[in-house]
This record gives sequence, structure tokens and C-alpha cells, in this order.
Amino acid sequence: MEYFGEQLVNGIIVGGVYALIALGYTLIYGVLQFLNLAHGELYMMGAFFGFFAMVAVGGPSAAVVPTWLMIIIMFLVAMGGGAGLGVAVERFAYRPLRKSRRLAALISALGVSLFLQSAALLLFGARVRLYDTGQFINLRSGFSIGSIRIDITEIMVVVGSLLLMAILWFLVNRTQLGRSMRAVAVDQDAAVMNGIDVDRVITITFALASGLAGAAGVMSGLLLFPVDQYMGIFAGLKGFTAAVVGGIGSIPGAMLGGFIIGIVEAMATGYLNPTYADFIAFLILVLVLLIRPTGILGKKNLAKV
Amino acid sequence: MSENQTGNQPETAGESGRGIGTDEWVAQHEQRLNQASGPFAALGQRWLQLPRGIQWLVPLTIALLIPFLTSNDYILRIGVNLGLFLMLVVGLNLTVGYAGLLDLGFVAFYGFGAYMYAFVASPQFGIHWPTWLAIPMVIAVTALFGLALGTPSRRLSGDYLAIATLFFGQMFLVLAVSSDAVQFPWMQEPVDVTGGANGITNVDPFSFFGFTFSSMTSYYFLLLGLIVIGVFATLRIHNSRHGLAWRAMGEDALAAQHMTIPPVRMKLLAFTVGAAVAGLAGSVFASVQLGVFPSTFKLPLLIMLYAALILGGLGSVPGLVIGAIIMVVLPEVLRFPDYSNWLFFIVLIVAVVTTLKSWKIITAVFVSTLAVGFAANGIFLALGVPYLTTPEWTEGPLAPILGAWVFMPEDRLLYGNIAFVLLVVAIAWMTTRTRRTRLIALPFVLWLAVFTWEVRLLLEPSVTRQLLIGALLIVLMAARPQGLFGKPRVEVL
Amino acid sequence: MTEPALSLRGVTKRFGGLTSLDNFSLDVEPAEIVSVIGPNGAGKTTLFNVVTGVYTPDEGRVFLHGEDVTGLPPEKVARQGIARTFQNVRLFLNLTVRENIKAAMFGRTRASLLGSIVGSPLARREEVEKEEQVREALEFFGTRLQGYRLDQPAYSLSYANRRRLEIARAMATGASVLLLDEPAAGMNPAETKEIAQIIRRLRDDRGYTIVVIEHDMHVVEGISDRVIALDHGVQIAAGSFDEVATSPAVIEAYLGKGAAVTK
Repeated sequence: MEYFGEQLVNGIIVGGVYALIALGYTLIYGVLQFLNLAHGELYMMGAFFGFFAMVAVGGPSAAVVPTWLMIIIMFLVAMGGGAGLGVAVERFAYRPLRKSRRLAALISALGVSLFLQSAALLLFGARVRLYDTGQFINLRSGFSIGSIRIDITEIMVVVGSLLLMAILWFLVNRTQLGRSMRAVAVDQDAAVMNGIDVDRVITITFALASGLAGAAGVMSGLLLFPVDQYMGIFAGLKGFTAAVVGGIGSIPGAMLGGFIIGIVEAMATGYLNPTYADFIAFLILVLVLLIRPTGILGKKNLAKV
Repeated sequence: MSENQTGNQPETAGESGRGIGTDEWVAQHEQRLNQASGPFAALGQRWLQLPRGIQWLVPLTIALLIPFLTSNDYILRIGVNLGLFLMLVVGLNLTVGYAGLLDLGFVAFYGFGAYMYAFVASPQFGIHWPTWLAIPMVIAVTALFGLALGTPSRRLSGDYLAIATLFFGQMFLVLAVSSDAVQFPWMQEPVDVTGGANGITNVDPFSFFGFTFSSMTSYYFLLLGLIVIGVFATLRIHNSRHGLAWRAMGEDALAAQHMTIPPVRMKLLAFTVGAAVAGLAGSVFASVQLGVFPSTFKLPLLIMLYAALILGGLGSVPGLVIGAIIMVVLPEVLRFPDYSNWLFFIVLIVAVVTTLKSWKIITAVFVSTLAVGFAANGIFLALGVPYLTTPEWTEGPLAPILGAWVFMPEDRLLYGNIAFVLLVVAIAWMTTRTRRTRLIALPFVLWLAVFTWEVRLLLEPSVTRQLLIGALLIVLMAARPQGLFGKPRVEVL
Repeated sequence: MTEPALSLRGVTKRFGGLTSLDNFSLDVEPAEIVSVIGPNGAGKTTLFNVVTGVYTPDEGRVFLHGEDVTGLPPEKVARQGIARTFQNVRLFLNLTVRENIKAAMFGRTRASLLGSIVGSPLARREEVEKEEQVREALEFFGTRLQGYRLDQPAYSLSYANRRRLEIARAMATGASVLLLDEPAAGMNPAETKEIAQIIRRLRDDRGYTIVVIEHDMHVVEGISDRVIALDHGVQIAAGSFDEVATSPAVIEAYLGKGAAVTK
């Protein structure tokens, strides 16, 4: 029972990271009907940016600023860098393809993914980085449920992702900007004719989505996951799975999907063969796609013939 | 039939006359626009006028002669790789190029075929089937596998199909890598099915009627034969009943359905045939390599396949051959700093010469680039940046020129990285500027490109290769989505 | 009493809360031209979609030459002998004129994939027959789609030619019943007259049974044996053109309540 609890908790924590990545996917797909296959790479870049920010202020062991400030800086740099990168990618790789067929944009996304991975390899080298969180956060602090320990970074991750989701939800559903985003999602041409600056809305969408991915990257690093050029591939695939399972285009869906995938993965690792954990995550996706392609909370779109 | 009253020229006059405004002349407008100009154009025209058979005969003859012109096993190996790659591209072309089905898991069929062959022709299970039995089995089983993958996906289209197939592909990979200790309920010990991450070794080479394929040359000719068959079949399929059905489906699936074309059956057929071809390629691969290793069947190979198809131009058969050649041969060239240097400069010069129209401008650009280079050298020297002398970083015929013009800092990593980032930013920036601004910035960007190449990119050919492929895909989609030989498409969204 | 070429019995189609077709019935006799009119949103294209199998009706049945085709997928319905054109022309734009027509002959040919590749006698014979069919389908349109045009991509055709090609493509499926969805939309008066003539000739010379959705009343008047008026999924009038055009219900549907009073 205890073991189950541990796995559950692990699942929820990792699920928080997946949920953030999923949020990014779902945001972009919701507004543009475009699958940004390069999204995982923005997560990877965020992790690197956070790492370098940490090193720049002296971390992990000799920080010149208090820990809480360092963490904030890491998040800001990762989210800002991620957002900037995402906006650049949209501007130069995807914008020229807005009127082209789906295939073209998907290929371009594959190209961006490959390019970002290689650029990271070139610029940062093949060495795997570790955040070494233990050096600046007392991993013993936190609390326990029964005998299950939850340390403070883990709490931060879950709370942080829930917070970001709430902010995003508020943004999309209760602000003028969000209304514009939803309008662009339904009909770009009509949105333009109603005075919405579609380019700006799309830029902001990418900035938000990529910023979230960057945050996810830092969280992942803080949780002591290794940081290398390839981390974006699998995490991206899983975050993407989460978005589709939860219902692509739906914000609560992405969140739900993230936690589901995280928990399922943790259970599979804990009770079945850990090597098959990835396989099972993918299997779930395929099953969802076949049985209910719109996902758990997704909406069906009716197209006029 | 009522007379034409809509204001067009009378049809009959239009067909015989070639005057401005007549329909045929107007219809050939695009053709005239795209007609190349310059010294090579005349050659190109002559080439295109040759009958198709002769056009294909030329590369075929060259391919046939290569093994006799060189005994270098390395070159033959590249030929074999090209053959395998081409087979895969031919298979993928059916699914993606004709039927428009985005199959991102295609490489799994290749791997499946390879493993299947290894299962029946290696010490893994101690089974050693004769080749004439193994190959048809592999083809059939991989085709079934393709059917199995296609069936649940049959109702998916576009994005969803891409996702599903991507995940099927990943699932296969994970399965292959993890299945080195599979516990079957009816067995005592776990069974090593796939050899895990190390794969399967000591796979039997092919042998037909007592002739064992033991040399690279024999495989080269085998693959050449298979390619000829594959290309021929593709050409025949293009205008056949099924080919047209696939292409119609790729254009407008709903309309095609209304015109008696069964979408599910055609989709499954595309998957199955594509898988069969990939499976065959897989078996050849396994026997050439004398082993099967899961690391081959990952996403980068898939991306290269797509890059080849897209570069060549979807739906164009000469295109896919040339795209494949570029994708396979180029990385090999990149392995040798001397050759890749030559290639880099040739490509750069050709690109500049073909995009800029007037010789005056071209000369101006080249001269300015040289000037920028020397100016940069001066700046570096003035700043006291430690550098390497010529023999320390380059040799060969180009060395004196390069050494004099390119500044090689000692800390190649740091300066190279900065230059790389600046280069990417500069190129992106250039796309937003007017022609004039671009022209002015061009010498600086050209120098920056050469600098980045020499100082940094040459150091890591495999990373550079990935970078170039990624950049190629991005630029291609934005600038020339129809590839080198494809026809510009019209989309209705 | 010959059996109707196309027969709908009590067909109802709902989309969520909206009833697009409500207990609709229709018999179309062989070689008859029936026009379906009605304001936008009346359910006319839904009607076509139900007949061709894009939608399965919630209630009711569809019969083609006496065969029950209700709920069959479009490719099967097409093979039974019915083909259509679309409201916004849906050609295979990047295929040539010739290829557009040949593609539609898939259901009439039997050559296998392997046979096509190696050039089996069946495949070769069918290819010759297909060329013949292309000629036959296109000569119907006179000099319009001839000569060099056959090898031009469909996107290079003028709008009117695209509509003609779409009809030719529908003919190529071997159908005996044609559903034409606003064939004269977007055409100038001369082209409109020509299309009306073509529709009449399709029936007179080749014996097609034709159901036409149209808004242009001149066309409707000129070609129809019978006219059906639809509004909100319900048949509100049926009969000759004059009967329907003067029916109060129809006038009201088009011009609003009270407009009928003045007649």
C-alpha cells in the first residue's frame, strides 16, 4: 500500500511536468490547429537555460544570491529564453507556412526539432548536466504522508504547474486577449476582419506555450532529471500524449492528461517492467486515439462538407 | 453546341495560332516563366528532350560501371547504403507521396524486416533458413505488420495519423530495445528475443543457388537490381488505376470517395505495400551488416527519408532518386574535412551565382566578402585574440588561401559558438529585410558563414550534418516546398 | 410501372438539436430531371449527403434502382450508379484533366496493382478503354476541354471549365444518376444557358437521371420535369415549375411572411 502511495506521488509530481508541456502543445494546437513537434526541444532548451542561469549566479553550491532568488532567476531566464526561442521559431519557420498544407508545417517542425537538438549539441557540448539541487535546497525539508516523503522541490513543481495552469486558464477564458485567441482558433480570416491582430495573437500564443515549456524544463532539472540534448524527445512525446489523451485544445484536459500519463508511467515502472514504461505510455495514446480521438475533455469539431 | 459567347478567343483559332491571349499560349505561361536561363539551360533543355528511357539509362550505366572503376570498399559501401536508402524512399513515396498519408513510423517496418530476417537466419534462435525461403517470409510478415498498423489507423487522417504512426514507431523501438529478457509464462528462463540494445549479431549473408553474397560488390549489384525494379514499378504505378486513386485521395479524400475510390482499402494497401518494400530492404540490410542494431531505426533516419522525399519533390520519381543521393552521399563527404571544405565552398558559390542575376553584382559581393574577411582579421589581431597558424588547423590544396583569409582563434569552441549564434540570427534577420538591405548584408553574412564553418562546424561532422538537414527542411518548406523537381502545388484549405 | 431510379422514404437527419431533413420522401423516375430548391439552410446539400452516404439517416431509407443503399459508404453508393458534383467545386486540382477523369474510373476497372505494374493484358486493355471513356466524357462539352487542355492541371482551368470537368468526372464513374449541386453557381448568363443545355442533353442524349439543386430560377424553369421545394428540412411544395413557383408556401419561405398575400 505504501509502495502504491509512493508511486502515486511520484506519478503526480512527474505528471505536473508533463502537464506543463502538454499545456504548451494544446495551446498551440488549439489556436492554430498545428502540432508543434518541436515543442519538446523548447523544454530541453529551458532546462539548459535554467542550468546556465544557476551557474551564472554561482550555483549550485556557491550562489551569490539567496536560494529563493536564484530559483526565481532560473525560472525567469528559462521561461523568457524559451518564450523568445518559441517566438523566433514561429516567426521564421512556421509563419511562412500558414497558408500551406499540413504536411509542410509538420516537416518544418521536424526540421526545427532536429536543428534545435543539434544546435544544443554544438553549443553546449555532449556533457550531461545535473542541477544538483541538493546543494542549495535541503531535500529533507518538506512533509510526509505516512512514510512517504515529499520534499520541497516536489511540492514546488506540483504547486507551480497548477498555478501556471490556473493563470493560463484565466488568461484564455477571462481576458480580452484570451477572447482574441479563441477567435483566431475558430476562424483566422474572420478574426482579422474583426480587428484582431492575428500575428500578434499567434506570437503571444507561442510565447506563452514556450514559456511554459521552459518552466517545465527547469522543474525537471530541479527534480534531478539529467539535462541533455535528447531529453526533449521523450518528454515531448509524453507531454504530447498527455495533451491528446486529455483532449487536445482543452486546457484542463492537458492538465488532466499530464497527471494521468505521469501516474500511469509511475505505476508501470513500479509494478511492471520499468523498460516497458515508455511503451505503455505510448500504447495508451494509441488506444485513446483510436477509441476517442478528441480525448477525454476534448470537443468534436463539425466540419461543413 | 452553342457558340462561344463568353468573350474568349474562339477556340479553334487559339489552338492553331500562337498569338498573345490565345488559350494555349496563356496556358503555357507558367512553363515559360520557369524556363531556366543561362549557359546550363540549353544543356538542360536538350536533356529533357531525350526520351525517358535514355534519361534513365545514363545514371543506370554510371551505377553499373562504378564497381569496375574502383575497388575501394568504402565507396561500394556508400553505394549499398544508397541502395537501401533508395528502397526505403521508394516505399515511403507510395504512402506519403502518392496517398498523402503521413506515416511517421515507417522506419519501424525497416527494423521489423531486419529483425525478422535475423530471427530466421542467425544464431539468435539457432534457425538458419535458406535465403529463398527467408526473404519471401520477411516480405509477407512485414506486409502483415503494415496491415496491422494501418488497420487501427484507418479512420485517422492528417495530424492524428501522423501522431499514431509516430507512436507505433516509437513503440516498436522500445520493444526492440527492451526485449532481451522476455519472460514467457510457459518458459522457465527469460528469453533473449531481440538482443536488447546490442541487437543481433552474426546474421547470415544471403545465398542463392550456392552463391553466397560475401562481398560488398555482390550486394551492390543486388541492390542496384532491386532499385531498378522499384523505380520502374513506381513509374508504372504513377498513372495506373491504383496510382491515380492514391493521388486523388491525396488531393481530396472525400471527393475521391464519391468517385468510387475506397479510402480504407487504398490506405491499407499503401501501408502494406510500403511496409513490404521496407521489410525487403530490412532483410538486405541485416545480411549486409551481418547484424541488426536498434539504434539504426530511430527518428533521425525517418527525418532523413522525409528530407530526401521533400528535397527531391513529392511525387517526382527523378526527384526522389536525386534527393536520396544527396541525403546519403553528402554526409559521407562531410566526414572528410578536405572534401567537405570543397563542397561547402562550391555550394556557397553556386548558390550566390544562381540567385544573383548580374555578374556585376556577383563580383561585387565576392570582392566585398574578401574585404570583410581581411578587415575581420585585422580586428581580431588588434584585439590580441590568440590564434593558430595555418598548418595547425588545415592542410591540403586550399590551405594557403584559407590560412591567409580565415582567422582561426585558438579557442575555437567559444568563438565558433558565438559566430554560429550570430550567423543564425543574421540569416533570420535577413529574411525580414528588403532586397537591397540583403544585398548589402550579404558579404558580412557570407564571411560569417565561412568563419563559422571553418572554425566550428568542421570539427563536428555528425552534428553539422544534423544541423544542415534540419535547416534544409525549414528553409525548403518556407522557400520551395515543392522541392527540386516537384511541381508547385495548389492547395485548397 | 418501372421502379424509380432514386427513392427516398421518410428520411430524417438530425445534427444535435437541429433537424436538417424531416421525414423527407421522394421518387425520381429514370431519365427524369428533378430540381430541388429552397432557401439556404433548407437541407438541400444534406439531402445529397444522405443519398451519397456521407451521412446515415436517423430514420428512413434510400433506394437506388430498387437496391437499399441506406448507410452504405460513399464509394459503395457511387459504384451502385450515382455520382455527384459539389457546391464548391472539389476537383483533384493538382491532377490533370485527363487524370481527374481516369481517377473516377477506379470502380469500373479491375486491374490489380501487380497487373498494372507488369502490364498484364487486362491492365493494358482497361487503359485503352479508359482513354476512350475520357474522349467520350469530354466530347460532350464540345471544344471546351480538348486538345492540350487534357494534360493541364485542373487548377489551371477557368471556373466554368472546372464545373464542366466536375460533371465529366461524375459521368466517368459510370453512374446513371447524377446529383448536381448548384451547377450554375457563379456563372455568367451565357455559361448558365450552356450548362442548362448540357443538363438537358445529359438526359436527352445519354439518358441520365438528374437531381439538381439550384438557386437560379431560369435554369430550374428550363430543365425541370418536376420541382421540389424544401425549407427547414421539410418538403413544402412539389410539382411543375409553375405550380411550385406560385405556391404561397414557397413564396413565404423565400420572401418572408406576408409576401404571399400579394399574388
